[in-house]
Amino acid sequence: MSAAVPDVKEIWNGRIVEVTLGAGPDQGGTRRTTVTVGGQNTLPFLHFEGQMPHKPVVAVEVRDQAPDDWSELLVQAWGDVLSDPAAWAARAEELGAEVIALSLDSAHPERGDTGAKEARSTVRRVLEATGIPLIVYGPGQPDKDNEVLVAAAEEAAGERIALGNCEEKNYRTIVAAALANDQLVIAKTPIDVNLAKQLNVLIGDMRLSRDHIIMDPTTGALGYGLEYTYSVMERVRLAALSGDAALQQPMIVTAGYEAWRAKETRTGEGVPAEWGDWRTRSLLWEANTAVTLLETGADIVVLRHPDVIPLVKQAIEGLMQDSPVA
Amino acid sequence: MSRYIAQAALRGANLIVREAEEMVEAAIAELGPDHPVAFINTAYYLPVILGFTGLEVTNLGDLRKAMAHAKRLLNSPPSQQLWLPYLGETLDAGAATLLATETIEGVRFARGEQPEPIPGLKLTGTSFTSPDSNGGQAEGGFANGPIDDIQLRAWGIQLVDGRMPGFAAIVGAARSNEAAVAIVRELQKRNILVFLSGNVNGRSIIHQLQEEGVEMGYDTYIVPFGTDTISAIYALGFATRSALTFGGMSGGQIREILLYNKYRVFAFVLALGEVDDLKYAMAAGAINYGFPVIADTVIPQILPTGVTSYEHVISMPFDDIPGETDAEKARRLVQRCTEVRGVKIKITEVPIPVPYGSAFEGERVRKADMRVEFGGSKAHAFEYLFMAPLDEVEDGKIELIGPDFSEVPEGGAMNLGILIKVAGRKMQEDFEPVLERQTHYFVNGASGIQHVGQRDITWIRFSKAAVDKGFRINHIGDILYARLHADFGAIVDKVQVTLITDQQLFEEWLTKARQAYQARNVRLADMVDEAAEEFYSCTLCQSFAPNHVCAISPERLGLCGAYNWLDCKASYQINPTGPNQPIPKGICLDPVLGVWQGVNEFVYQNSHQVVERVSLYSMMQDPMTSCGCFECIAVVIPEANGIMVVSREDPSMTPAGMTFSTLAGVAGGGQQTPGMMGIGKYYLLSKKFLYADGGFKRIVWMSSFLKESMAEELKAVCEREGIPDLLDRIADERTATTVEELLPFLEEHEHPALTMDPIF
Repeated sequence: MSAAVPDVKEIWNGRIVEVTLGAGPDQGGTRRTTVTVGGQNTLPFLHFEGQMPHKPVVAVEVRDQAPDDWSELLVQAWGDVLSDPAAWAARAEELGAEVIALSLDSAHPERGDTGAKEARSTVRRVLEATGIPLIVYGPGQPDKDNEVLVAAAEEAAGERIALGNCEEKNYRTIVAAALANDQLVIAKTPIDVNLAKQLNVLIGDMRLSRDHIIMDPTTGALGYGLEYTYSVMERVRLAALSGDAALQQPMIVTAGYEAWRAKETRTGEGVPAEWGDWRTRSLLWEANTAVTLLETGADIVVLRHPDVIPLVKQAIEGLMQDSPVA
Repeated sequence: MSRYIAQAALRGANLIVREAEEMVEAAIAELGPDHPVAFINTAYYLPVILGFTGLEVTNLGDLRKAMAHAKRLLNSPPSQQLWLPYLGETLDAGAATLLATETIEGVRFARGEQPEPIPGLKLTGTSFTSPDSNGGQAEGGFANGPIDDIQLRAWGIQLVDGRMPGFAAIVGAARSNEAAVAIVRELQKRNILVFLSGNVNGRSIIHQLQEEGVEMGYDTYIVPFGTDTISAIYALGFATRSALTFGGMSGGQIREILLYNKYRVFAFVLALGEVDDLKYAMAAGAINYGFPVIADTVIPQILPTGVTSYEHVISMPFDDIPGETDAEKARRLVQRCTEVRGVKIKITEVPIPVPYGSAFEGERVRKADMRVEFGGSKAHAFEYLFMAPLDEVEDGKIELIGPDFSEVPEGGAMNLGILIKVAGRKMQEDFEPVLERQTHYFVNGASGIQHVGQRDITWIRFSKAAVDKGFRINHIGDILYARLHADFGAIVDKVQVTLITDQQLFEEWLTKARQAYQARNVRLADMVDEAAEEFYSCTLCQSFAPNHVCAISPERLGLCGAYNWLDCKASYQINPTGPNQPIPKGICLDPVLGVWQGVNEFVYQNSHQVVERVSLYSMMQDPMTSCGCFECIAVVIPEANGIMVVSREDPSMTPAGMTFSTLAGVAGGGQQTPGMMGIGKYYLLSKKFLYADGGFKRIVWMSSFLKESMAEELKAVCEREGIPDLLDRIADERTATTVEELLPFLEEHEHPALTMDPIF
């Protein structure tokens, strides 16, 4: 049966940069495990075509104060730990998280307005409670982001944490803090290949080395623009593999955050019966969003619901199997 | 390069190197070579020595090696570069001086003589980050000495992210205590970090500030290093460590460290009072870092640029600075310092009594709500932005010449001239109209203020509500000053605004402004593609048309109409990594079609290897792609051997059988579609408009909106084409919406396209 099956393999001349999150005792940190992503020279999971040396990983979102706008399903699933970031992070690690994505939400001027001191203490406590690498997000308000992320960067010196989000209007302070303390940054841009590229270039101009940058191309949830963000990520990855060095960074996506904004996950009542069981629907909504984005190149997916962690990890395991080509 | 400075610096360097060497030997004889040497609270050893040599000094013996290095620099052979005969040696002598002075401070630390005791000096904030500083004595009595690593990081982040523009290393003493305070206050106002050292005849600026009760210390961003010139080395240690910490460099990478400082650390040396040989030698050391030296006394200047970004050494005698008071002189002195170093001023808020933001841009002020108007039917107003040399613009000066509107009855009108004088190292005359046009957006951002028009048809209205809140004519100047700095800081260093209501002066400037407008028109007309070295790209629309690239030339603006060649040129200056990049034209492959090798290469790369060839002057062969933002669509009408141009404003049916919106769906998306192309409406006026396809005479149908809104300009084009009534021979939606109606119209009017070469 050697009939002419065309060879569809592409030879790419680009490769994604390898980025390592977390540092163990031998590198000046305290992490029991570290995570390396990137390194692939092919589109996701095309093992027959190129190498994908590192599997994508699952990060779990932890907030420094109990969220007041989260779905009841999430609140029930996590229970008491929601009010204690250290306990929450430890629980997430037990449940299979490979990275903790800590959000310093209480620093937001309208949600607590806490400062550098509280940020340091939260970061310290979460680091002590877990052995996996850490991402720290600011509250998304530029002045406060600067304040708490600089503090977090200093507090976690040596731990090789990632600081987010670095955005075009506000990347300088965060990059400077990363430079001073040898941390990574998450470069976030609004669903646009050129803006993503530009921000990477600007960060590179500040001399942060490429193995310290992870990009967040911004995504949508299933049913809420997922297709569009999928194709933007795909274009980012295609450009990277074609040799555009400014786009060869691993990508992180906040699938949990996006999925739990959807009506389908937020609402359990007053919806058509054919939508089915609320909980099942919601978990699948988050898992589906995450897995779809993995297939377009996500290297780190940030999840919310504890029961979605094993679903996504299982999918990753399956996708990482070397599928034989007939 | 001044021979005088070179000689002084070499003398100073030789002396200090010898002195340092003697000190090292004496200390070794007394304490032994293993006696420890360390600056407090730093992981960077003796940072300047580390940076220059890679040497990690930990004891007195190591200082011998540093001195050996310094001596080698003094013995360097004469430079081969004849055009700057002394520069090489002087810079090397400066470097040797830095190594020697740091060595001296190292010895002093080894002997416990640093930080320097200064009776009565108490530093603010020092104890927090450097408990060991102040000589370990909370009561004070000591200069700060070197800055510790924790403070370096805190300030370093601000220096790197731009919140702190740079630092000033002040050496010596001001001519008076008042002048000392005024200079430091001016620097503080600009968020510039102040380092103090040195003296003149035993009197230091540290003493002066101390006497005037100025608080010094980390908290006030004023750091007294010591009262001798040698302690100024700590400023360069700080600079070196910035590069090591934030630039990811390691010891010994001196070239990288110096370049890092030149391009990223906006520091300068302010030499107050007499400049002796050692100060010249230290100054030569600072120039290595790209830090210029400004002296308030008469010294020879070094103007040619090269090592520093602009001038190297500037003399600005304090007595000769214009100004009534020391404060005013200080302001000008500091202003000059920031110019010479290229420090940019950051302005975040627009200081006016009404809310400000782009949300107010579309606001209208109705007649009934209006307090006063400038321009319109009852008065005249104009706005005129022009560039001037740096020393002829007083930054931040906003002046109203003539009466305010208080005498004007409610709802009345008066004349107003807005003169905006700008200066900048990167400013070009070509940017004048680009910046001037921004006046519209800037002024409109104020709540209750309406701005319409431009040039001498400007029309501004102030609402009663805005005036009640205190808005006055001067505030237009405040807005322009703040926004030009904030948005165009990359090209504008200084902005001065004069608002004229005085009748005579108004007439005078209106005449001048009109001459300038005319000159600009001529210049625009003269700008042809052949004359430009580079075209510009615009890839702003790739977010929705991923492979679309606009190639913008002087004679073909972007299809959206929003970006012409000059806009792109300015945009590139402001944002060098942005969507408007220069495209080197390269070889012209076809002057008729408008094909250049450079354009093809750029478009191929940036369309992600999709578009291989683009003709700038044809819609038939390799036309430019269209994103979707086009003002008009040009479409071939084969039956008429011509093209039609439909404007976005035109909802009617066209002879192509499709409306604008249907056509847009076909033309957009970044595809090359021969026979169909999006264009900016001003491209219609260009001599290069579809030059290869027959030009303007090919147009057989045009939306009446275009005919009417651009009547004057189109008339001129028709005359240029040699058929003055051509516009009347072109059909529009009122005369033809089908090909069947179009053809008889064209025949009846003897449209030239009918007898032109076949378009296919």
